[in-house]
Amino acid sequence: MDTIVVSHIAKSFGETQAVKDVSFSVRPGEIFGLLGPNGSGKTTSLRVILDIYQPDKGSISILGGPMTAEKLNHIGYLPEERGLYQDVEVARNLTYLATLKNMSREQIDEKLPIWLERLDLTEHQKKKTKELSKGMQQKAQLIAALIHDPEIIIIDEPFAALDPVNTQLVKDLLIELRNQNRTIIMSTHQMNQVEQLCDRLVLIDHGTVLLEGALKEVQERFATNQVFIQTDSELPENLPGVQGIERDGLNYRLTPSDGLSPREVLQQLIDQRIGLNSFEIATPSLDEIFIKVVKEGRNNHEESN
Amino acid sequence: MKKVIDVAKYEYFKHVGKRRFWIALLGVPVGFLLIMALSILFSFLSFNQDPVGYVDQADLITQPQQIPEKTGFLKLFIPLTPYDDEASARADVENGSLQGYLVIPAGYQSTYQVTYYANSQPSSDVQNQINELLRDNLMLNQELPYLERIRAGSQISLESLDGSETSDGTGWHRIFVPILIGILYFILVMSGGGYLLQSLVEEKQNRTMEIMITSVSPNQLMGGKTIGNLGVGLTQILIWVLILALGGLIFRQRLTFLGDLNLSPGYLALGLTLLVLAFVAAAGLLAIIGATMSSMEEAQSVNALIILPAMLPFYFFQAFFTNPNGLIPRILSYFPLSAPLSLSLRMAFTQVATWEIVLVFVVLIASILLVFWLSGKAYRRGLLEYNKRLKLRDLFAKEVSHG
Repeated sequence: MDTIVVSHIAKSFGETQAVKDVSFSVRPGEIFGLLGPNGSGKTTSLRVILDIYQPDKGSISILGGPMTAEKLNHIGYLPEERGLYQDVEVARNLTYLATLKNMSREQIDEKLPIWLERLDLTEHQKKKTKELSKGMQQKAQLIAALIHDPEIIIIDEPFAALDPVNTQLVKDLLIELRNQNRTIIMSTHQMNQVEQLCDRLVLIDHGTVLLEGALKEVQERFATNQVFIQTDSELPENLPGVQGIERDGLNYRLTPSDGLSPREVLQQLIDQRIGLNSFEIATPSLDEIFIKVVKEGRNNHEESN
Repeated sequence: MKKVIDVAKYEYFKHVGKRRFWIALLGVPVGFLLIMALSILFSFLSFNQDPVGYVDQADLITQPQQIPEKTGFLKLFIPLTPYDDEASARADVENGSLQGYLVIPAGYQSTYQVTYYANSQPSSDVQNQINELLRDNLMLNQELPYLERIRAGSQISLESLDGSETSDGTGWHRIFVPILIGILYFILVMSGGGYLLQSLVEEKQNRTMEIMITSVSPNQLMGGKTIGNLGVGLTQILIWVLILALGGLIFRQRLTFLGDLNLSPGYLALGLTLLVLAFVAAAGLLAIIGATMSSMEEAQSVNALIILPAMLPFYFFQAFFTNPNGLIPRILSYFPLSAPLSLSLRMAFTQVATWEIVLVFVVLIASILLVFWLSGKAYRRGLLEYNKRLKLRDLFAKEVSHG
């Protein structure tokens, strides 16, 4: 059963239609990427899912039905606008927020030290939040989102203020949570993180869905059939089955002739006795797909207006 | 309900658990005591206890000054010493053993004029002791009875024509409860209300609000914050009352007038219940203000608006005194913020019909529900508009834009 089902939601603020028609579903045990340029309607969609806003149209199903006060206790949320009490000690901040997620004092006493240790904040727990660096505050906020062991985790830009070491720490954590069958929605602009973490994704702009599917499926959908090779040999100007060759030092980008697969190109290279250091089927990066889809979407949007 | 209590506990201990709260709390009575002690010390040091001489040329003084058995903490005794002639009294003033001398001339009983000679203005204590000496001796000579009665002054009892209203003539204790309620409301709104406003604006500035409303409903949050900060205000009041009670215990012999204070528990309970309800209504209004403001400085300037209406009955005191069931006192009774003071003032001066008291409560509770509903809207609308100042009419308009 899908943990979150978003069906054709729409939400307007005065004259501005932030979300026009967004639908997607998220399953347990996956990291789902919610992508889109700034002002595309991502945050509004998340807030509708979290019941901060009521949708004008459409419906949301969380854990098999509409949102309830009880279900909020099973959701962990890391908002884009981070927020902890600045004048309060980190441990006290986290204890209070955990209490509001219905955790007992005993549970908090048991789990908080583990989380603080895990995110390298043990020695900072007595400090006031304002005394911590931005990255540390973000990690503290992540503890607030995860300490109550939520079934659903919604995180907005989780790597925004983190250095590479802490980015890896959080990535490992998210993978671990996915392996524990948690449902994770991650909204980010960092496409490399999406490529490394997300199982499925939805790309929205102007409040509508431009692209949805499993990461691999999306990449395959936008694949151009090109291959990357690296070789010490000189390539002949005319290689059978290849209609275009672009060179960059020892690296080549080969465009197969119409109807030829990368496998057949490889066979041609072997037949020509060209020694290969590497052979790779070119898949477009998510960055490229993002830019392409958003541009096309905006062109269509302008034409329709 | 658990979450309401959790929020209330957090809000309460966030302030009460801080050292600066206790410093501010105890600073007020300590500062007050310090000022009092300094002024007493100053008076004591500047008080001239040197004797005053008197020359009785009228043969009036047959009973010399009564020397009290004990003078008390602040009542110092100035001896009045008889002299046979002016010259010796003047000599003692000049050599500093007297602070001044009084001449009661031979024709005193026809003129009632005396002359006091000194190099400085006599203090009120000197004048009182001279007056007392002259009065006691005048009354002795005239063989007037009831000396003590005359010293104590008259006591007039007042009663309305229909007998429904009586007074012993002093009447100060009748407005004791309204004044008490006015002071308590001021303290509650200034401290508890101020903390509440601070907490709301802080949550908006810290961006904590979005986390909060994904854990608790706005009404649970508001309920918890109101209870917690009301508790802070009440703690402050309780500590001050305890300090006052301690002071009262120490100086109980000087506070015998408080025995006149015959307070009806029902009247007091009604006033205090109204006070708490009015604070809750004020808290709801403060929540709306907190949600619409983007900084604490802005919010504080509007905070006074919550205090001013509550104090309106004091401005219209004359109207309450002359016609407690008139239009202005009635209107102010139904206005939620001024209800506690208005109703208790009216009840101090007249009988207020039961239905009217019930109606005041109904209006107040309905107002609380309304402001809490509005503050819930303000949370969802205003507190996510982090950097904007929200206009009140926006609360009723369609939602504003987000990314």
